[in-house]
Amino acid sequence: MVEVVSGIGLGVGLWFWFWGTPVLLTRHSILFKLHHLSVADTLGSMAIMAGLLVRRPREWPLLVLAVLSLVMWNTVLGYVLAYCASARQPVSVETPDGPNH
Amino acid sequence: MTLLQGVLWGMIAAFWLPLYPTLRRGDIWEVMLALSSVATKSSLILLMVSVIRDDWMMGLVGVITLSVGNAGFMLLAHLLRRLGQTGG
Repeated sequence: MVEVVSGIGLGVGLWFWFWGTPVLLTRHSILFKLHHLSVADTLGSMAIMAGLLVRRPREWPLLVLAVLSLVMWNTVLGYVLAYCASARQPVSVETPDGPNH
Repeated sequence: MTLLQGVLWGMIAAFWLPLYPTLRRGDIWEVMLALSSVATKSSLILLMVSVIRDDWMMGLVGVITLSVGNAGFMLLAHLLRRLGQTGG
């Protein structure tokens, strides 16, 4: 049973990794890539760690700390990168009395 | 080859994908994105190897990389943005 649950977690995690990472090699916008990569790295890595946790329950403090820091930092880093990458393009907003610079 | 070793080889294969954009002279933010993915994946590979070998010193290094590595990345992102604004 442990093998099956662990295998499912590891398999789902690896699938997420291979779903989101190749987008980096395409020509999409950076926010599109950031979304796919954040999902792949955060969810995929969490599934992999859940699979590892099932196999080594006695090391739960270290693995839970890894999951918590992964969830926190990856999410916040994704926000910071999105903010920094999109802050350089000037956004002109069409308002009734003309573009708002 | 056990299931864990098979998954480890898969993780190493996925680890190579973001390395290619870092070699191209592209946009700095794409390079930052790729390197943050490399950082996360490498620490997960460290955790996987520590489970396979049951050696938890390596696991500790993986967790430290996860928690401190991305924090340093955020400071670097803010620094690059500030440099971009001041034309530095």
